[in-house]
Amino acid sequence: MRRTFALVIAAALLLVPSAPLNAHHAFGAEFDPNAPLRLQGKVVKLEWVNPHTWIHLEHVNQAGAKEVWMVEGGTPNTLLRRGLKRESLAYGTEIIVDGYQTKDHSLKRANGRNITFADGRKIFMGSSGTGAPRDGRDPTEPPTPPAAKKPPGGALIQ
Amino acid sequence: MLRDVLAWLGETPWSIALHESLYMWPLTESAHVLTLALFAGTAAVLDLRMLGLALGGVPVSALTGRLLPWTRAAFVVMVVTGLALFYATPLTYYHSLFFRIKVLLLGVAGVNILVFHARTVRGMAAWDHADRPPRAARAAAMISLLAWAGVIVSGRLVAYNWFECAIQPQSAIVNWLQECPVTPP
Repeated sequence: MRRTFALVIAAALLLVPSAPLNAHHAFGAEFDPNAPLRLQGKVVKLEWVNPHTWIHLEHVNQAGAKEVWMVEGGTPNTLLRRGLKRESLAYGTEIIVDGYQTKDHSLKRANGRNITFADGRKIFMGSSGTGAPRDGRDPTEPPTPPAAKKPPGGALIQ
Repeated sequence: MLRDVLAWLGETPWSIALHESLYMWPLTESAHVLTLALFAGTAAVLDLRMLGLALGGVPVSALTGRLLPWTRAAFVVMVVTGLALFYATPLTYYHSLFFRIKVLLLGVAGVNILVFHARTVRGMAAWDHADRPPRAARAAAMISLLAWAGVIVSGRLVAYNWFECAIQPQSAIVNWLQECPVTPP
């Protein structure tokens, strides 16, 4: 019986993938916090889909060539709460997106953080936590905790 | 053929309403996960009992009588919500390697249930009180545990786009397994 039990545990461990599973597809699983980028161009396609929206925009690179980039945003619900409607991203809308590229730098894909419209409106479009860098763009992120300061008595008070 | 049907399905008004929804999709997904917890949890208790690893001394029939109604009810909601989520974005799932693995494992789990009920259950009276049921029952319990664990893990992995068809180049085997519409160079 003890052997069977050990077998069950071993089998279960085999099924656990090596990558950490966080919230719905974590930032850290797909995007590179060390590869920030800024894209500018017209919306050419919009996937207003759960659980992640995708904005496709035509960006002109440094060599002057047009590239279509895919930028991931939060759920339709998340974006609506921040003031982004599907209508605000109609095809042809000129936008600037700040975000982070996928870990695979050959892909023209990014996780969006801020989206800026021609009238200067700037809206956070990303998701919080899940490994995304604290770059100050997420208005809901808690401030970076100060370097561990031990109060007298020992316990760190939050 | 199947792909054409799914492409059409994903363009139907209700499918669009669901995948664009503000509340329906997250609620459906939550219900799916909660009922799968209840389903897999109660099923696992029965499996462990049949393996002789838990609740020794309790007749198997006593457990099935009390737990299986919950397992079945959770199963129904889990399947309905699962189908609804599939209906929201059918092509995404159709081309997902992890989803294909999940369907395969669902098949394994399903056949296991059928075989168990067709054969093993009949002789249950003989081992109802046994702390260690016969090999066939233990095998069914082990297959059930592993298959459902695999279903849950592969289902979870569908969220990750490592093998997404739109991300090319992928290895030829991945493209073949997912039926990615790749135009040859």
